[in-house]
Amino acid sequence: MAANAEIFFEHDRWGRNLAWSAALHIAIAGSIILYAVFGPGGHGGTWGAGGGGDAMGVTLVSSVPLPARSVQTQNVLANESKGLTQSLPKTEEKEPEAIPIPDKNAKTKPKPRISESHQKAQPQPEEEASNVVPFGEGGPVSGPYGTFNAGGAKGGFGFTGGGGDFGSRYAWYVRVVQQKVSENWLKYEVDSRITEAQRVYVTFDITRDGHPSNVQVEQSSGVPSLDQSAVRALQRIDTFGPLPPDYSGNRVSVEFWFDYKR
Amino acid sequence: MRKGNLNSNVCNRTTGTHYFKNKFRVIAAVFFLLVTAVVTAAPCLAQQDWIKTGTGLGMEKVRLAVPDFKPSTSDAKNAELLKVFNDTLWNDLDNAGIFEMASKSFYPLAVPGNPAEVKFEAWNSPPPNAAMLAFGNLGVTGSNVTMQGWLYDVKNITSPQVLGKQYQDAATSDAARVIAHKFADEIIFRLGGGIPGIAESQIYFVSSRSGHKEIWVMDYDGANQHQVTHQGSISLSPRISPDGSRLAFSSMTKSGWEILMYSMDLNRLLSFPKFGGTNLSPAWSADGTKLAFSSSRSGDPEIYTVDQSGANLKRITSSKGPDVSPVWNRKTGAQIAWVSGRTGLPQIYAMEADGTNVQRLTDQGYAVSPAWSPNGQFLMLAWTRHYGPGAPGAEDLYIMDAASKQWVQLTHDGGRNDFPSWSPDGRHIVFQSSRSGSEQIWSMLADGSNQKQLTVTGSNTQPNWSWK
Repeated sequence: MAANAEIFFEHDRWGRNLAWSAALHIAIAGSIILYAVFGPGGHGGTWGAGGGGDAMGVTLVSSVPLPARSVQTQNVLANESKGLTQSLPKTEEKEPEAIPIPDKNAKTKPKPRISESHQKAQPQPEEEASNVVPFGEGGPVSGPYGTFNAGGAKGGFGFTGGGGDFGSRYAWYVRVVQQKVSENWLKYEVDSRITEAQRVYVTFDITRDGHPSNVQVEQSSGVPSLDQSAVRALQRIDTFGPLPPDYSGNRVSVEFWFDYKR
Repeated sequence: MRKGNLNSNVCNRTTGTHYFKNKFRVIAAVFFLLVTAVVTAAPCLAQQDWIKTGTGLGMEKVRLAVPDFKPSTSDAKNAELLKVFNDTLWNDLDNAGIFEMASKSFYPLAVPGNPAEVKFEAWNSPPPNAAMLAFGNLGVTGSNVTMQGWLYDVKNITSPQVLGKQYQDAATSDAARVIAHKFADEIIFRLGGGIPGIAESQIYFVSSRSGHKEIWVMDYDGANQHQVTHQGSISLSPRISPDGSRLAFSSMTKSGWEILMYSMDLNRLLSFPKFGGTNLSPAWSADGTKLAFSSSRSGDPEIYTVDQSGANLKRITSSKGPDVSPVWNRKTGAQIAWVSGRTGLPQIYAMEADGTNVQRLTDQGYAVSPAWSPNGQFLMLAWTRHYGPGAPGAEDLYIMDAASKQWVQLTHDGGRNDFPSWSPDGRHIVFQSSRSGSEQIWSMLADGSNQKQLTVTGSNTQPNWSWK
């Protein structure tokens, strides 16, 4: 028996095939490199951008009838409504003159400052009764803004939503909101020592089913009890009634202001 | 602050010529009327006349024109049904308390029966000067009646429609009444801020017209009165459950005064435990799961609560002197107001539903029959402020703000006024009054205005308004 057993019966001559394989691999690698260097598209300048090729040209389909964004703010400063409040000429306010500090040895007393009530009566700007005839139009609330009067205190509000015309399309709903808020504002909740305060702005949303949500004090009056009473007025309200059935939005945003005066 | 004012800011104002200066304010004052703000503002009207000179206290009511509906077919029954329908619709809207009804004599001659016939200028300017217009048509075809109705905001010409409805039912005058109630409720729901109308609600009461004091029921406007119970003894204080399916009342039985439970669906008594002693004045919690009542099973009348099935009896008061007439806070269900004689004459108290945090609400006189408003803010009560020999006190109804304990008197014109009960919308009160000579059921707006007698025959007492 032969000492060195031959286990490979066939000796393929694969050196040549190997050479081919290596050559082809190099060729492919080389062509990729060459393509990358000299191929179209340069050095990735339009990388990731739509339109570079047909497959990347996907944009938002505008033909799907998505509902319009429910909150579209209208430029309330420049709409065609004449508005509800008449701008009054600004009453000129005199800068208070500096009061000289009385000298210890001064012989003349400083003139007592004439209090405002003694000054010549300025022509009182005729106050507008906000529930009677809105300025400009004798009809319903025409703009997204309106006001109300309740027990000597005043309030007002603005609506946004529905392309900005909610207030004019659904004047009756605006009226309901106005009425309910003024009904539910209990002015005895305000600190009885306060006779007058800055206007407090409250914002809230009315959901589809008429529930006020997201009640926030947008701008405080500086009187905590007044802010509280305004927020509570809204918290006390369960519903304003469902939004008008033909209104497409999910909710309406309302800005409501309260003027407090005792 | 002075008593009698719910809203110090509104009512404490002195008359003064200051408010006459401004003509707008006077106009606003004339129009001022408002239903729930009534509760803040108008109670003063009932008490003091000067409110008419005040400033715009809230908003004016919606001015509503409701021309008679037109026949849409040429059936012979049209005329009869139209009359029922038109009367009912007008009364419902007039009773709602949130509208100023434009008088029919102001209407143009040509009234619309469908949207194409509406002439806006004829309605939105004087004389009708309406803000809203409800119109439509009604016609009988065969055995059915069809009604089409619209509500238009006539001042808003570009998009006037607020509501458009069509109803069909059997051609009977009862059905015409129901259709009118439903349409009126729709209008009130829309323009009243999402509070459902009460046109389909009912009032339960005690009447002796059959010879015994039995429980009767009628529509909210006094129509359609019929007997519910036939106990043949004395039945008092009917209380309908929030879902309207059961009626709890106290009745004289063989074993004394017991709470009985009557099923409105089965038209018979249900079994309910007998607790012994004298058991009176049941009251449903707002969720309908519990009853509160007064029982003298331990000797002294005390307040107990029990599940609607009669299980789980719990005593929640424990002081000497009678404790009777419990009512739950209808909004939260967490408080109970009741009448207690622990300091002598009966007074109104309030506590948490577990018996803690007892507070006295009335300060003097003789106060009974508390009734908590649906929004939980107010208590209505019957009060004789000056009680006793030599004190010419009359028993009148008062409304009290439960948090601040400020109150306003609502009835004035004599007789005993007692047993107030709130309507589900919180805008109306039904009560018992002897001002007509005998005890009868009356209703009014929650500011004391618009008082109307609902019953005339026999003696009718202890009304209870259904929850919806």
